[in-house]
Amino acid sequence: MNPEDICCSEYRNLSRRQFINTSSRAALFLASAPSWLPKVAFATTPGIQRDVIISVYLRGGSDGLTMCVPYADPDYYAARPTLAIQPPGPDPGDAIDLDGFFGFPPAMASLVEAFQNGDLAIVHATGSVDPSRSHFDAQRYMEVGKPADPEVNSGWLARHLLTVPPMSDSPLRGISLSYGMQATLSGAPKSIPIPNLDAFGLTGNNSTMQSRKSWLDEAYAWADMALSAAANDTQRAIDLLEQINFANYQPAGGAVYPSNSFGVGMKSVAALLKADVGVEAVHLDLGGWDTHAAQGVLSGAMASLMQTLSSTLGAFHADMFATSNTNFIVVVVSEFGRVVAQNGSEGTDHGHGNCMMLLGGGVNGGTVYRDWPGLAMEQRFQERDLAITIDHRDILAEVVAKRLANPNLPVVFPDYVPTFRGVVEG
Amino acid sequence: MADTVSKDSAGTRGELSVSRRQALLALGAAMLGGGQAYAQQERRRNGPWKQTIPSLDLKLVRRITMGLSEYELGLVAQMGYDGYLEYHLDHLAIDDSALQSMLGTYNSLTMEPWQLYALGGTPALDLTDAQILRSALSRRQLYGRMVEFWTDHFNIYIYRGECQYLKIVDDRDVIRPHALGRFPDLLSASVHSPAMLVYLDNVTSKRLNPNENYARELLELHTLGVNGGYTQTDVIEVARCLTGWTRHGSAAGTDRGRFYFQASNHDNNAKRVLGVDIAANGGQQDGELVIQILAAHPSTARYIASKLCRWFWGESPPESLIDSAAARYAQTGGDIKAMLRVILARESLALAPMKFKRPYHLAVSALRAVKATINSPATLRSVWLPQMGQTPFRWVPPDGYPDSKEFWMGLLAPRWNIGFSMFSPGINGVSVSTTSLLQGANTAETIANRINYLLFGGEMRPPDLAALKKYLLPDPPSATRISDAFALALASPSFQWY
Repeated sequence: MNPEDICCSEYRNLSRRQFINTSSRAALFLASAPSWLPKVAFATTPGIQRDVIISVYLRGGSDGLTMCVPYADPDYYAARPTLAIQPPGPDPGDAIDLDGFFGFPPAMASLVEAFQNGDLAIVHATGSVDPSRSHFDAQRYMEVGKPADPEVNSGWLARHLLTVPPMSDSPLRGISLSYGMQATLSGAPKSIPIPNLDAFGLTGNNSTMQSRKSWLDEAYAWADMALSAAANDTQRAIDLLEQINFANYQPAGGAVYPSNSFGVGMKSVAALLKADVGVEAVHLDLGGWDTHAAQGVLSGAMASLMQTLSSTLGAFHADMFATSNTNFIVVVVSEFGRVVAQNGSEGTDHGHGNCMMLLGGGVNGGTVYRDWPGLAMEQRFQERDLAITIDHRDILAEVVAKRLANPNLPVVFPDYVPTFRGVVEG
Repeated sequence: MADTVSKDSAGTRGELSVSRRQALLALGAAMLGGGQAYAQQERRRNGPWKQTIPSLDLKLVRRITMGLSEYELGLVAQMGYDGYLEYHLDHLAIDDSALQSMLGTYNSLTMEPWQLYALGGTPALDLTDAQILRSALSRRQLYGRMVEFWTDHFNIYIYRGECQYLKIVDDRDVIRPHALGRFPDLLSASVHSPAMLVYLDNVTSKRLNPNENYARELLELHTLGVNGGYTQTDVIEVARCLTGWTRHGSAAGTDRGRFYFQASNHDNNAKRVLGVDIAANGGQQDGELVIQILAAHPSTARYIASKLCRWFWGESPPESLIDSAAARYAQTGGDIKAMLRVILARESLALAPMKFKRPYHLAVSALRAVKATINSPATLRSVWLPQMGQTPFRWVPPDGYPDSKEFWMGLLAPRWNIGFSMFSPGINGVSVSTTSLLQGANTAETIANRINYLLFGGEMRPPDLAALKKYLLPDPPSATRISDAFALALASPSFQWY
């Protein structure tokens, strides 16, 4: 049976439930709201406690052996003569110890606090078991949530949204913070790509704005179904987002986001989550991890990317926890890791196993979850790459079941029976 | 399933993605049929711009240009389907001197590589501006569509280091000379292109420890396709063959930025690529041999054929059409025009579904439809195309901008806004005259019909056209309503497809 058929009949049953307007909650919300918050509140579905999920994709294949360094494995140093991070020690370039075996490189320092507080978990020697070293196949199969099946087109996160009742009657459930719909969310209900939350509106003659909007509503009601849905989602999202003053958003907890697009994007996601307008899933990309040459683990290309990633997520953690809004979970993945041995260009080519990260209030953090396969030649995948000992779907499925309150795992991850590893509470 | 789809349950409509596929097919078929029936009906009706061009001919114009224009409508009306196709295939015979003189101001386009390095950021901006002008104004429209296709196929992100200089040379000496030529020539030019060798790290690939980046994408994206039958070992062997393929550095004076085979970095041991033995000590010939092996490989014929079919026919082309186009590749040694004659044949295109315009296509087709005068493309390049997500030469990964409606369809706001802003308050460097476009039309009926002809060749969807007339009323329509009507027609569902 087509998994999309399952999820839809599933959804139709669920969607028949009545949504009750919790007016007292709305009143409380409005009375205490700071000025940048919107003057809207949506009826919530009672009894539903779910994290908002923020899916971060590191495009290009991040080098997990640098992001979370297995400094106690001597084969790591043998394979990376000039690209290794040295074991914890006095030098500022040395690794920051996490658990006696793994360490962060200096560029990931901004996430140490979240790890020590137990809000950040790392999973290592994980990834998509699809053996492809093509960026595009590997990304696709990871994002649809099923290896090697060209027939599945919707994203795993889209199928999650399709198989749970909405948390509220918000017109916008999912956002891909990008120009095109990223595959993870492709096919999701009430979900569109929005490249910049702070600049999403219509232009043209002000005096006819409403009549033009109505004209478009009417015209697109007759359009191709997917296009019609996109137009409707666009118009309702514009009405919603125009009420949030993203530009004046003040992060809490002394959080300082980097001024690059990833930092600005996550800052706007924090504002969106605090505005509590019913968005349930956000996807965003951080690209540039395809470090075939001049990888630069201490300073240079990869160090700069890790700095962006860690300082942004560190700021997001501080910002959200300072206002006790911990009902979120950030999931960080990449299509594959990189080959164990460095190449002749001071870089690394496409590999297999990698690490992934989880950040949030419900994460059983402070741990690097792994079943370490080792890095000796005979321990590697195809005598070349870090082997995968934990299917990344084990981690995502546990998040979906426990943090996103969705029992429909066979729809979200078709033909797979996940093993839970205890990475999240619930 | 259909009973769950209703307009007023707008909140849940988008969630019915299950039945989406079937519904889309049915709806698409209905719309196509409706459009044709409507066009015939419209032809019988009034209006000073009676549309007499057959529907299939209009479809050809939409497929092989960056959008309808009154000029192209005139050509196809005169030449008919086959004549119009052959006219555009013989691109060098088309006089493009008006565009050429406009491009004369961009000095960097004709410079040698070593000269470009001294110019800082100018060449990349010049090339992008020139691309916008060419797409909008060139008479060689099918050629332009092929340049766009190969620019994606052999994608180079222009801000990857030296590519900001070398992509100008790649565009001029690799993509453009061969865009309607033979694929093996195009492939060979690309493998020798310094911009490509920089972009995919081949310039640092050395013997003993080669860099696999370019070799993998050469097999996966440029020739065989990901399922084309190569292995990880083939990737490494191709990488070894290409060790030493680089470009001259800054010490080389006027040779800087030209292709250079650095023998000392080349792996001269024997290799085996896709089952073919390559003897030791071949030097640069190893790479030349790889090009020949790849160009002659049946997987390459099929992969190029399938991509061309997706580009011109639709996202899911029939296997039989791909087979025919691949067979033409094999018969003609990769003659691109010969393949296009198969794909664009009347009986093939008649069955083609609508395609969703990518953002760049949408923007350019809007400029063309309303005969915009482009005094400077700078604001389009720096504001509008980035907002829409598709500025030429700015796609970072090597696969090129996606050609998929699933990817692009969600971001409608900037697609609507480019038309809205063009008419009020206007886009810097771009001017549009509604008065001259209207040619005297001054009632809701005649203005809507005129817009229908200019933007759709008379095939605007009937409900959109009716709504447009309604928007313009009461007669005589105000100037604001008239400019809104143009902008709304550009934002309408009909204009999103080609």
